[in-house]
Amino acid sequence: MTLRKLIVSFFVLMCQLISAQNDSINNLKEVIVSDANLKKYSNSQSVLKLNDSIINKNEGLLTDLLNFNSTLYFKEYGRGMLSTVSFRGTTSSQTAVIWNGININSQMNGSTDFNTISGSDYNSISVKAGGGSILYGSGAIGGTVHLNNDLGFYNRFENNLKLDYGSFNTIGINYKSNIATEKWSAQIGFSKNSSTNDYKYLNKYTWKGEQRWNQNGQYDVITMSANLGYKLNDTNVFKFYSQTSNTDRNTSLVTESEMKSKYVNGFNRNLLEYEGNFGRFTTNLKTAYIFENYQYFADNSTNQYTYGKTENLITKADLGYQLFKSTQVNGILDYNRTNGYGTGFGNHVREISSASLLVKQDFSAYWKNEFGIRKEFTNNYESPVLFSLGSSYQFNKLYNLKLNVSRNFRIPTFNDLYWETGGNPDLKPESSYQAEIGNVFTFKDISLTQTFYYIKIKDLLQWVPGKNGVWSPHNNDRVNSYGSETLLSWKKQFGKNNFNANASYACTVSEDDATGNQLFFVPYNKVTSSVSYSRNRITAYYQFLYNGFVYTRADNNPDEIINDYTVSNLGIDYAFKFLNSFKLGFQVLNIFNENYESLENRPMPGRNFNMYITLKF
Amino acid sequence: MKIGKLLLMAFSISLFVSCSNDDDNNDNTPKGDYDNGFFILNEGSAGQGTVSFSSDDFSVFTKDAYTAANGSDLLGKYAQSIFFDGDKAYIIAGGSKVINVVNRYTFKLVAKIDTGLLNPRYGVVKDGKAYVTNANTYADWGASATAPGNTDDYVAVIDLATNKFESKIDLNATANRIVEKNGKLYITESYTSSKLLVVNIAAKSLEAPITIGLSADTMEEKDGILYILRSPYTDRSEIVKVKLSDKTISKITFPEALDGAGYMDIYNDKIYYTVSNSVYSINTNATAASTTPIVTASTVANLYGFAVNNDRIYVADSGDYKADSKAYIYNLTGTLQKELTVGVGPNGFYFNN
Repeated sequence: MTLRKLIVSFFVLMCQLISAQNDSINNLKEVIVSDANLKKYSNSQSVLKLNDSIINKNEGLLTDLLNFNSTLYFKEYGRGMLSTVSFRGTTSSQTAVIWNGININSQMNGSTDFNTISGSDYNSISVKAGGGSILYGSGAIGGTVHLNNDLGFYNRFENNLKLDYGSFNTIGINYKSNIATEKWSAQIGFSKNSSTNDYKYLNKYTWKGEQRWNQNGQYDVITMSANLGYKLNDTNVFKFYSQTSNTDRNTSLVTESEMKSKYVNGFNRNLLEYEGNFGRFTTNLKTAYIFENYQYFADNSTNQYTYGKTENLITKADLGYQLFKSTQVNGILDYNRTNGYGTGFGNHVREISSASLLVKQDFSAYWKNEFGIRKEFTNNYESPVLFSLGSSYQFNKLYNLKLNVSRNFRIPTFNDLYWETGGNPDLKPESSYQAEIGNVFTFKDISLTQTFYYIKIKDLLQWVPGKNGVWSPHNNDRVNSYGSETLLSWKKQFGKNNFNANASYACTVSEDDATGNQLFFVPYNKVTSSVSYSRNRITAYYQFLYNGFVYTRADNNPDEIINDYTVSNLGIDYAFKFLNSFKLGFQVLNIFNENYESLENRPMPGRNFNMYITLKF
Repeated sequence: MKIGKLLLMAFSISLFVSCSNDDDNNDNTPKGDYDNGFFILNEGSAGQGTVSFSSDDFSVFTKDAYTAANGSDLLGKYAQSIFFDGDKAYIIAGGSKVINVVNRYTFKLVAKIDTGLLNPRYGVVKDGKAYVTNANTYADWGASATAPGNTDDYVAVIDLATNKFESKIDLNATANRIVEKNGKLYITESYTSSKLLVVNIAAKSLEAPITIGLSADTMEEKDGILYILRSPYTDRSEIVKVKLSDKTISKITFPEALDGAGYMDIYNDKIYYTVSNSVYSINTNATAASTTPIVTASTVANLYGFAVNNDRIYVADSGDYKADSKAYIYNLTGTLQKELTVGVGPNGFYFNN
């Protein structure tokens, strides 16, 4: 196996590494984070925060950003196509995506397509490893990905514009504007990421000897956002977040003769939030309306399509009380109503209420504890009592120990319950127990986080063929997933030379309890690293991704695998003396022209290029 | 066209398409790696379809004959069926709208028929032309009988000399299985249709259909009679016998214990049929069904492919479509001869001798 090679290369990397990605928030200026609980209740787990400067170094869509900068594994149906995640060896619907504190995984299929989200629409993207169902609900088993728009309340008028143009006619337009006073804060954003995506398949030819290329792979992702905050006074703050997106995508062909199809999907999200700070008592009220829809054109030359849409209303009341100086208590009530209708599952309404209690106790600045409990109430299924228990102890400047135990779940989706034919209304939620130990070492400019985890998942939903060939979901499998995650970062300045580096390594074993086989599409190993160097006005950076092989079959047939691959990107930019900032950059992606696939028979592009301009004014 | 070629074609049609009697091949020199054996077609699921081959004596087995012969070329998704003509095999991959034309003995790719097809299903050959049913679009679940998806199926006519789509015959109904006899095509479809469609090849037109009832699937012609197995969801299974000369119908209605019959094949004056994972047989002139199985393939969860030939019964298990599944070969009294691990979703057996 390549494991030894891998470990060697990893340590080589470690030695070279120079790093840090967590530029701390500027404390002098008041910034109100959109999801206060993420910071408050995650002391005992690891959170990787990716800020602007990292987001800007990656291709526009979220898959690319997280693939090169986190331990998350992605399965892409070709570049820019449907992209699903596996976090800590779990399934694609066991990672929850959280938008400003609200769970936005699809109500229809339970997961999020990471190629429909543009990273630049957010101020920061955080990846929190491990269970989080207490705070974030269904799907927070492997971990959560947080898309946050934080509002700054200080006088400013800033515009950011990034324009990209690259191979395969790939265009990125990303604009963000911040207008704020000490009372008002507004953020307006627009992003468009599109490509004709007609790249050649390296060394692949048709039976007639013609060069094969990615046919029918066009995509166009457009998102508009507007966020507004109003500080009535020190005790009352109102916030409103709104986002509309449309993804118009063809689905790339596996073979030339296939039917050309198209998938159009979009969402509209609105969130109104009130924050009240009354000394020991705090209150946070949220109301959100989320609309999500898709249209699938099996033959994109016709106007015939199947569709599905859901409207989701969420109201949340979070009441906090500072019991003692060291102890904070939060009680959260949540009501969630979803209307779903579509060609596949008819018309259904689902109502879920939940109540949770969270306690945070800081015995000292060094020893912090958290506890949470949550129960859902719904007619649709029997919901387990969830809990979370965590502790963080800072032994010394060098070493911080974190422990966390939790029970999490994933509820059946509209497709699972109501699909005609095959939907099974008698499903239970998937549920998991998990435990993790995190070791955080900080030495001068180096920070090393090593986490070991164990997850036991039961009642895993699997669609299996039944009688008459009708597929139907059942709570069949049990899975044990365990492994380690290592995050390393280093940041150093030598005179005018700035080094910045980070790396991650995930070792994942995810076993079917009955067979002992590794789950298919879960790699045993994944490594990422990036190094950046800047001097004066020039910045150069290098990104590296190693993805271990994955089985494509449940029986771990050694002939049916997707080979491991290594992809490297190189970029350089120069800041001109013009406006506040004017950067011109150039990137070579997949610089070593690696011929690789993320899914069987769906080749990814070889060496390709991108140039960009970043303007701040 | 040369008489000799025609004769060869006629010979091979009777031998392979009707899937009936077999003769020992007098010429024992194999014409390629895949002579003197049988193919198992594996539908595939997330991945491509594959074709497995086993020699009749089981001494040679190739799990993926197409890839072995053609390297990285892709067969296509949802491999549905194979039909033969002369030394060519035509592998229909419905999900990729393609028919791969290969030499049946070497499996080397000769051509791909990739126009004029929309969800192609089954094909027959008559006078140098192939007639392939196309399901076209599918109607939504519960849609009316006149919804576009239920009326747009057609037969694609393909010129086998050029391997090009030539024309189509609209059916104004749903279509799936197809049999050719005396210049006429007989077509069943088990989800929506209650009729046996009749197409006149020369006139390229529909003749009056014959009402046979819902859920008619496998069929085979023998001695002027078309035997059709149907198994309605909440009613008794039946073998419908259509006398092709005058279109009269007679039936063998199965007892309730045999509800949900699956597949049928006629071999040496016997009708073999399956219910769940059991195989039964009756004489072609019988008037009642047998309820005593020849064999019950207890390890088969979902019987998905079935054939009787060469004095053997061939049974395939669909498996879970996520891993390689199995085919089982029994002798005619139900003794297991061989168990083969084939590809994903094996759905049919085809004979090459």
